[in-house]
Amino acid sequence: MPHKLPDPQYVKENYQYMTLSKKLEENIYIFQVLLKGNNDIVFRQISIGDKKVKAFLVYVDGMVDKLLITRNILEPIMIETRKLNKIIYTNDQLFNYINEYFITTSEVNVKDKIGDIIDDLLSGETILLIDGVEKALIISTKGWEGRNIAESTTESYVRGPKESFVETLRINTSMLRRRIKHPDFVIENIKIGKYSKTDVSIAYVKSIADDTVVQEVKKRLKKVQIDGVIDSGYLEEFIEDNPFSPFPQIAHSEKPDKVTAEILEGKVAILVDGSPFVLIVPAVFVQFFQAAEDYYERYFLSSALRILRIAAMFIALLFPSIYIAETTFHQEMIPTQLAISIAAQREGVPFPALLEALFMEITFEILREAGIRLPMQVGQAVSIVGGLVVGQAAVQAGLVSPAMVIVVAMTGIASFSIPAYNVAITFRLLRFIIMIAAGTLGFFGIIMVVMMILAHMASLESFGVPYLSPLTPSRTQELSDVLIRIPWWAKILRPRTVQRKNIMRQEDTRG
Amino acid sequence: MKRLVILILVGAILLTGCWDKREINQLAFVQGLGIEKGKDDMIHLIVQILKPGLLATGGGGAGGTGGGSAVGKPYAVFQASGVDFAKAFSNLNDELPRSLFLQYNEIIFLDEKFARSGIYKTLDFMTRNPEFRRTAYILVVTGGNLQELFDLPSNEQLERYPYREVLGMIQNQQNTSSSYVCDLNEFIETLEIPKKAPITGRLEIVKKDGKAIGLRMVGSAVFNNDKLVGFLEEQDTKAVMTLKNKLKRSTLTLDKGLKSEKAHISFVVTKAHTDIIPKVKGKDISFDIKVNIETHMNEQESKYDLTEPKNLEKLQLLINDKIKQGIEHALFVLQKKYNADVVGFINILHQRNPKLWKEVEKDWDKIYPEVKFNVTVKSIVRRTGLTSKPIYPR
Repeated sequence: MPHKLPDPQYVKENYQYMTLSKKLEENIYIFQVLLKGNNDIVFRQISIGDKKVKAFLVYVDGMVDKLLITRNILEPIMIETRKLNKIIYTNDQLFNYINEYFITTSEVNVKDKIGDIIDDLLSGETILLIDGVEKALIISTKGWEGRNIAESTTESYVRGPKESFVETLRINTSMLRRRIKHPDFVIENIKIGKYSKTDVSIAYVKSIADDTVVQEVKKRLKKVQIDGVIDSGYLEEFIEDNPFSPFPQIAHSEKPDKVTAEILEGKVAILVDGSPFVLIVPAVFVQFFQAAEDYYERYFLSSALRILRIAAMFIALLFPSIYIAETTFHQEMIPTQLAISIAAQREGVPFPALLEALFMEITFEILREAGIRLPMQVGQAVSIVGGLVVGQAAVQAGLVSPAMVIVVAMTGIASFSIPAYNVAITFRLLRFIIMIAAGTLGFFGIIMVVMMILAHMASLESFGVPYLSPLTPSRTQELSDVLIRIPWWAKILRPRTVQRKNIMRQEDTRG
Repeated sequence: MKRLVILILVGAILLTGCWDKREINQLAFVQGLGIEKGKDDMIHLIVQILKPGLLATGGGGAGGTGGGSAVGKPYAVFQASGVDFAKAFSNLNDELPRSLFLQYNEIIFLDEKFARSGIYKTLDFMTRNPEFRRTAYILVVTGGNLQELFDLPSNEQLERYPYREVLGMIQNQQNTSSSYVCDLNEFIETLEIPKKAPITGRLEIVKKDGKAIGLRMVGSAVFNNDKLVGFLEEQDTKAVMTLKNKLKRSTLTLDKGLKSEKAHISFVVTKAHTDIIPKVKGKDISFDIKVNIETHMNEQESKYDLTEPKNLEKLQLLINDKIKQGIEHALFVLQKKYNADVVGFINILHQRNPKLWKEVEKDWDKIYPEVKFNVTVKSIVRRTGLTSKPIYPR
C-alpha cells in the first residue's frame, strides 16, 4: 500500500519541528508543499550508482554557482559512483560515501531538521536528499552576482585604503579578516528576521574587546524580532541605548580600514548581510569628528584639520542663531562698521531676521534634499536654479539681505565638513531649534538650548560608555586623540573609555 | 496631559521673549553725542546719526535700497533740549523715526561752556543708563560750537564723517601724547577719589575767516570736581601723563645748552616710569618724584659724535633737565593756577600715609598749592638710529 503522505496544512504549520523521513518521496513532497509556487527552486532527480538509488538535488536558481554543482556534485555522484558496483552497501553507507569521497566542494554539512534545511536552501546552499536516508547533505554552493568591491561613495579619502564594503556579508568579513590575522579575532554569526533570515555577524577581538559589551551586543541583537532586516540601520534603531535622542549612539562606516581600527580599539562591529554599512559599538561623540584619514595623514595636519572641523561644527550649529540674536537683540556686540553695513543691507528687507533666516535655511535644506534624491542629470539644473534663485534673485528682490546669504552658505558648507553624515543631520535639525530660541530670546535662548543639548548629551550612554567621554567624564590621557591627534609612536595605550582589559597598544620603545 | 504642560511651559518661555526685539535696520545709530548748555540752563543735546544706506556703498547695490552713488552726507544731525538729560533725550526721540541706539557712540563731546558749568548731571544719566558705553571718550570742544563741529565739511577730512575723524585722532594720540583723553569710566573713577581732579582731552575747532575748516587735539582740559577750570598746554599734558604713568610714546626736542646754537635734537620717548613718594617733615608735606625715561634719537642737527660715550652722557643730562623743567612747570600751573590735583597726590598720600591723609584730606585745597616737589629724572638714550656719526656735508 502506498505510504500516506502528511496533510499539507500540518506540514506548513509544523515543518520547523519535523525531521526528514526515510522516504524520499515524502521528503520531496514536504519540500514541494513548502516551496510551492516558487519556480526558481530546482528539484533535480538523479539516480546514484549501479543500484540506481533515487536522489534529489534541490537548489535555488540564481543563488548557486551552477558550474560548481555540475562539476563538483553532479559529475562525481552520477559518474564516479558507478565504480561502487563491487561493494555492497546500504543507502546510509552510500550517503556517507558520497559525503566523504564523492562531493568535492569545500564545505558540506549534514542536517536532518527540515526547518534548518529550508533555511540553508534559501540562503543558497544545495541540498542532496537520498532515498532511504533520514539526513540531507547541505553542500555549500553559494554564489550569486553582487556588486564588486569599489571605492566608497560616502566616505572618500585623499590618502588611505580606497576599498569599501559591499552588500555580501562574506566578502565583508573577509575584508576584515584580511586585516586582522589573529586567532583572537572572532566573527560570530546570528540570524535575524523572521522572514528575511538575515545573516548578522558580530566581529571583535576576544583579547581586546570588553566582554560585557560583547555580551550586551549579543543580548540586544537576540531580542530583535522583526520580520526582515534590510539594512544595518534597522538594527541600529533596535539596539541603541536612547531611541528618542537625536544623536546617533552607534557609529557606522563603509570602510573596512576604519572598522578594523575601531575593532583594534576594543569595539565591536556588527555586519549585516545586504548592507555595506557596518555598525560600530560603543560610540562616543568625539569619534564622529574623527575622519579615518586623520590617522593616515601626518599628525600635524590632522590635528589642525580636527580643530577646523570642531570649529565647523560650532558654525554649522550656531552661526545663523548668533546672527539672528545679534541683529535683533544684541546689536552692541557687532563691530560698529559691520553693524552699519548689515543695517544698510537690511534696509528694505521686509521680514524680521528670524523669518529671513528660516526662509533661507529651509530653502537651502530643500535644495540639498532635492540634490541628493534627483538623478545626476537633473541635479545640475537644481544647483543652477538654487544658486541663482537663492543667491541672487532673493537678494535683488529684497527678500533677504546679502549677509544672510553668506551666513546660510557658511552654515551649509560647515555642516558638510563634519565627517559623519549622521551627526551632521542631527546638527541640521538642532540648528532650527536654536534659531527659533535665538529669534525669541536672543543669546539667552541660544545658551538655554545649548545647555539643554549638552545636558542631554551628558546623559547619553552607548553600551555602557558615557557618550561625551573622554571629555566628561574626563580622561586627560585620551584627550590626546580628541582635539588633536598625537603621533602614532606616542599612542602607547588604547583608549580606556571603551575597554580596559588590554590597554597596551604597542610596546613602549622610546627608551 | 504631561505633553500639554510641556507645551505650555515651552510656549510661555518662548512667547515672553521678543519684547525687547529690535531689528538692526530700525535703529538710529548715534555716533557723536554732543552736550551744550541751552537757554535757561536747559541741557541741549546734539547728535550725529548715521545713515547706513549711504555709508555702505562699497558693495554696489546695498540691499533693497539700490545703493548707487551716495549723495549728501552719510549722517544727519539732530538736536533737542530739555530741563534734564532724560527729558532732552525723550525730546530727541520724538524727532526720530527710529529708536536711538547709543551703544556705538564712543565719544561724548562737551561744549566748553557746559563743561564749565559742571557735568555731574550728564555723568549720572550716562552711568545709570545701560545703553551708554562706559568706555566712551570725553572731549571738551573749544573754539566753536558743536554744530560747527558736526557740520564740518567732509572734503577737509580723511574719514567720511567728523565723528570718525575725531575717533581716529584720539586713537592716534598714542603716537604723540599731546593730549590726554580719558573715558567715561576713568573720569568717574577719578571723581570718586576725594580731592583728585579729572583731566581729559581738548578738541579745538580750527577756523579760518570765521568758518570751521578743521580739528586739532591740543593739550587737555582740567576739571575741578565736575567743573572745567582751565586747559593745559601740550608740554604740560605730557608732563602730567608722565606723572600718571600714562605716557606711551612722545617726542622730546632739546633746543638749549647744545654745542651749536639754534640747533635741535629730537628724541622719541619710548618708556617713562614715575615713582612718587610722599615725605613728611613736621607739618611740611613734600613729594619725591623719580622719573625714569627711555628714549631713542630721532634727529640731530648739532652734529654730536655719538660714538663717543661722553657725548651721549651729556645729552642724557640735557634730557633730564628738560623733563624736570617740564614737570615742574606743569605742577606749578596745576598748583597755583588751577589748584587741581590732577596727578592724585592725595591718593598717593592715602596709600602711603593714611594717618596723615585723614588730617590733611579736608584742607587739601589749601595745602596742595604749597606742597613741594623734588623731581629727579634719570634718562637713557637706548638707540641712536642707523647712523652713529652725523653726516658731514663737504
